[in-house]
Amino acid sequence: MSDRRSFLKKTAGFAAAAAGLTTCLPAQANGQSSIKWDEEVDLLVIGSGFAGQSVAVNSIRAGIKVTVLEKMQVIGGNSAINGGWFAVPRNPVQLAQGVTDDSPAELVKDQMIAARGMGNEAMLTRLAEMALPAYNMCLDAGVKFKKDFNIQVGGHNKARAVRLESGTGGGIITKLYEAGLSEGVDYRLQHKVEDFIMDGDEVIGVVVRKGYRFPDEGTGHLVKIRARKGVVLATGGFTRNMKLRSIVDPSLDPSLDCTNHLGATGEATLAAMTHGALPVHMNMIQTGHWGSPDEGGFGWSNALLSIGWHKGIAVNPTTGTRIMDERADRLTCSTAIMACRHKDGSPAYPLVFFNKNDHLGDSRVTRAVRDEMAWEFDSLELMAKKFDVPLKQLEATVEQWNSYVADKNDPDFNRKMDTAVKLAAPFVVSRVWPKVHYCMGGLKTDLDGRVINAKTLAPMKKFYAAGEATGGVHGHARLSSCACLEGLAIGFIIPNTIKADA
Amino acid sequence: MKKIIFIISIALIMAGSATAGDLTEMNKGMKGRVNHEALYDDSCNACHTGSAKQFVDDSACQDCHGSINEIEIDESQLKMAEANPHKSVHYDQGASCLACHAEHQTKKPVCSECHRTWFEEM
Ligand SMILES: Cc1cc2nc3c(=O)[nH]c(=O)nc-3n(C[C@H](O)[C@H](O)[C@H](O)COP(=O)(O)OP(=O)(O)OC[C@H]3O[C@@H](n4cnc5c(N)ncnc54)[C@H](O)[C@@H]3O)c2cc1C
Repeated sequence: MSDRRSFLKKTAGFAAAAAGLTTCLPAQANGQSSIKWDEEVDLLVIGSGFAGQSVAVNSIRAGIKVTVLEKMQVIGGNSAINGGWFAVPRNPVQLAQGVTDDSPAELVKDQMIAARGMGNEAMLTRLAEMALPAYNMCLDAGVKFKKDFNIQVGGHNKARAVRLESGTGGGIITKLYEAGLSEGVDYRLQHKVEDFIMDGDEVIGVVVRKGYRFPDEGTGHLVKIRARKGVVLATGGFTRNMKLRSIVDPSLDPSLDCTNHLGATGEATLAAMTHGALPVHMNMIQTGHWGSPDEGGFGWSNALLSIGWHKGIAVNPTTGTRIMDERADRLTCSTAIMACRHKDGSPAYPLVFFNKNDHLGDSRVTRAVRDEMAWEFDSLELMAKKFDVPLKQLEATVEQWNSYVADKNDPDFNRKMDTAVKLAAPFVVSRVWPKVHYCMGGLKTDLDGRVINAKTLAPMKKFYAAGEATGGVHGHARLSSCACLEGLAIGFIIPNTIKADA
Repeated sequence: MKKIIFIISIALIMAGSATAGDLTEMNKGMKGRVNHEALYDDSCNACHTGSAKQFVDDSACQDCHGSINEIEIDESQLKMAEANPHKSVHYDQGASCLACHAEHQTKKPVCSECHRTWFEEM
């Protein structure tokens, strides 16, 4: 393999890189003539998730040269690890299924209910109207969706969610990246934007830590890049920034892990705020009660619990008793789960278990057991031993539960019993603890994607924001499959704005 | 320079192509990968431009080894077919070498953040 690459070529490469670093172009911005720019580009996009990549690809197709800066050592942020659900009203599978009465307006209706009065109907409408173009952009780039698959997901009144064949948003991210590369988008990893350089209300460039190796803040070195046509902040949410998270929502327990990629720390949003960008709804942070402490990210837990909530029960390991109506809503379940604590206050992760023999060969089970976030036990005794549960009480709980199933009545929590079954060993067991999942809040933009100035409440100049980094769009609750839509859709809007602003 | 290319070629052939080289003590009191031994004779500049902290990206790796998709992996060593980090459904070619590999110490690959049982620290 080495014969294809010569050492000389390598040395030459380094020389060129070094020269690139030291070239200082004179700054030409008004009143900023003292700035020594290390580099000048046209459009600068920060972040390589759905939002950043869609803006990048659509901009280059509109004739705007683009540079994408990504701080991590991989592309894609949350988008690359997401669950791959994408809401597309009037997608071809939906139509083939005979669902012909859907529309962008129908989707927005659902979103506005979830938003509980705090959503931005006009913005949601603009985004929903771009769902089909966004879906087609994916198809054109070679993205593979699950064949003939379109289902109704939580909070939607219609089956309109398609899903990636690979089961993750990475299926889109990798293909858009390929398309962008071949069409001339200049992508750079390990470029962390630390600050914005302003000329009054206009953003004229950024300060970047180049060669950054997450999470070591001392790595790399600072360069100044001038952005002639504008800067698009597409840096995602901030759920991994524990300090910020606890400032904006003190009710979020610090014991809560997070589904997000480790770089979701929000520093670019904070930097934009120091230059006058208006943040909204920062305290609206979505959590899911379906997390597992025994895996990272979103993991298999949610899919496994789609069995457990219906066919099993949730038990507090310190008492051996049930804790809730397992089919209740997110808030009810989260509260009951988080009440399970050891004496020192640390989490006593509740156990959810169901009958192994009823689900033999189900991939939701086999992969969970394989990856050691769920376990199989031949008896309650072995389960009690592993998780230190009082055995007598655990046995009593199961016996009582089985009588509830026979009576089709749950006097303890009034659970709907139509899907409940009697429990008998062997069991499949997993542990649950809620995870922080999504930031509804972020920078306020106008309908064209321009960042709003906190002092004037008017758009700032050449400063755009896209995707989860923006706020005030989804109100109190973002519906599932709609973040994928948002990020991809805004990429069709912002290039037009940039052209209009030029 | 030619001598170095030659030594590297031999080292690569001997190390095989499947996994990153083992860590070993290098002459400057620093650890490094056995298959990179020759690079250490030539000061740190073979990979680093300027100070180590300023190291820019993985172009040094790529110039000898090729890009992520070009490097063949011994698939029989993978825990399962999906656990092929050079063909990740999340990143594919959009991953820097440094996301999973380190030269002077062992490193947990980026994928193990979620897939905790799929990969060994290398
Ligand atoms: C596990 C998981 C599953 C999900 N499942 C779904 C689903 O099935 N359907 C759905 O619609 N939504 C889902 N979501 C939500 C959705 O994936 C995200 O909201 C969406 O991907 C956000 O896209 P984005 O482009 O705005 O941000 P991201 O994809 O997070 O991209 C932001 C990028 O910016 C980079 N960045 C941040 N700061 C800087 C900086 N200072 N300098 C340079 N770069 C920076 C980050 O490293 C990151 O790569 C899920 C989320 C998670 C975490």
